[in-house]
Amino acid sequence: MIGTTRKPLDEVLQALEGKEKIVVMGCNGCAKACKTGGDAEVADMAATLTGAGKSVIWEVTPERTCYIQHTTGSLAGHEQTISDTDAFLVLGCGGAAQVARQALDEMGFVKPVKIALNSVGHLDTIIAGKLAIEQCQECGDCVLNETGGICPVTKCAKSLLNGPCGGAQDGKCEVDPQRDCAWVMIYDRLKALGEMEKLYVYRDPKDYSKSNKPRTLVIA
Amino acid sequence: MSEELKSGSRLEKILRSGKFAVTGECGPPRGADPEVIHKKCSLLKDKADAFNITDNQTSVVRMSSISSAVIMMQQGLEPVMQMVCRDRNRIAIQSDILGGAALGIKNMLCLSGDHQKFGDHPQAKNVFDLDSIQLINTVKTMRDDGKFLSGEDIKGAPKLFIGAAENPFADPFEIRAPRLGKKVAAGVDFIQTQCIFNLSKFELWMKQVVDMGLHEKVFILGGVTPFKSFGMARYMANNVPGMDVPDELLQRMKNTPKEKQAEEGITIAVETIKKLQEIKGIAGVHIMAIEWEEKVGELADKAGLLPRPVL
Repeated sequence: MIGTTRKPLDEVLQALEGKEKIVVMGCNGCAKACKTGGDAEVADMAATLTGAGKSVIWEVTPERTCYIQHTTGSLAGHEQTISDTDAFLVLGCGGAAQVARQALDEMGFVKPVKIALNSVGHLDTIIAGKLAIEQCQECGDCVLNETGGICPVTKCAKSLLNGPCGGAQDGKCEVDPQRDCAWVMIYDRLKALGEMEKLYVYRDPKDYSKSNKPRTLVIA
Repeated sequence: MSEELKSGSRLEKILRSGKFAVTGECGPPRGADPEVIHKKCSLLKDKADAFNITDNQTSVVRMSSISSAVIMMQQGLEPVMQMVCRDRNRIAIQSDILGGAALGIKNMLCLSGDHQKFGDHPQAKNVFDLDSIQLINTVKTMRDDGKFLSGEDIKGAPKLFIGAAENPFADPFEIRAPRLGKKVAAGVDFIQTQCIFNLSKFELWMKQVVDMGLHEKVFILGGVTPFKSFGMARYMANNVPGMDVPDELLQRMKNTPKEKQAEEGITIAVETIKKLQEIKGIAGVHIMAIEWEEKVGELADKAGLLPRPVL
């Protein structure tokens, strides 16, 4: 999922300065899982904005706001409300806010779309409802088959392909002693799998052209 | 070891002739005043064969390694230009290698680089387009094949003696010698090790290195850092990642009266150098007297390493 955290309220109110009638739009996908933009958080934000003197004229939470058909489907039939609003406030990732903007454009509305969250990465939930960590940065050239299923590009602080560096101590990363060293994990895993020879193979520099941004995926 | 010179640097000549080499270190200033380097050079001259010029070490902004190396050469000393992968992508790295070589730099040390978290600009974006082993291979490819990483020809290949660092004490210990093997396969000519305080563990590592025959393919310089004080020893033991300082050394420093601790630190370093000289496969020492350049000469002298051979 795409991890999100709340922006400070001051920053949100500053973004909405001069806007009175607000539509609060959440996302029942990743932001719901992060407890930052599901129905409950949309309701909380609406109450907060009302308390700050705004008029929240509609609360809406598409199934996945980054899928344009869900967002457009949620907006359809609410043209009058959309027309009346001064701004949308999206409780979703940066993609959700941009898809919302595009959906509005395609419906012929020019409305400010503001965002109430910061996107903090492609994260995997490892304790349901509690903790998610970053394990993949979508480099476009996956090395997991060679590294025991543990990604050094993401989980090593220096993205070393020929690790470990000389800084691991007691299996922890020198950059964050709370975090396991990716290459020590790779070592343990390859050893357990009987694939230690993979540790001694020289790995060429990565082809980062595969992660040049922005990328496009033609699905069909 | 091959006697064919790859770079013609003084350090390379010393090592290939079988003499025990000595390298030192010189940290560039946090400003644009070359006088700081001049002063350090006057303290270091003739005390070692070559001197590492650090590259924004601990991620704190300093004068660039290349320019400091050139200033050092103007003072008649031979630099080892350090280069880290933290701040440059492969385009900038290859460009700086060409530039350094064109300016007369003949030794280079390939490092991943300290993470920016430890420095004065923790907000900086890091690069790490290459890692240290890939950097070694890059310099080797440029020097020996006359080619860029892209495979295109270089007009005028950079002739550099290729160095790298290795920490025998980091986890997991079992793979430290094989990892040196990876650096050797990538094309490294000489290695400077992490500061050695735990000699018995170091000997264990060197035994693995010798058993693998790596000492016949790469010159290994043992890293030596004199303690200035008990406080410094304790700091290195507790706060510097990958550092292995045995308790007995800490106790020895602690039990020394404060005013005698610097002297004791030098004594320990001299003892370490003498022991290193007896270990099979050790080709020299790398003295890292951190912001204590005035003591390099005394240390080298007491260890019987002076005068340095004249070539």
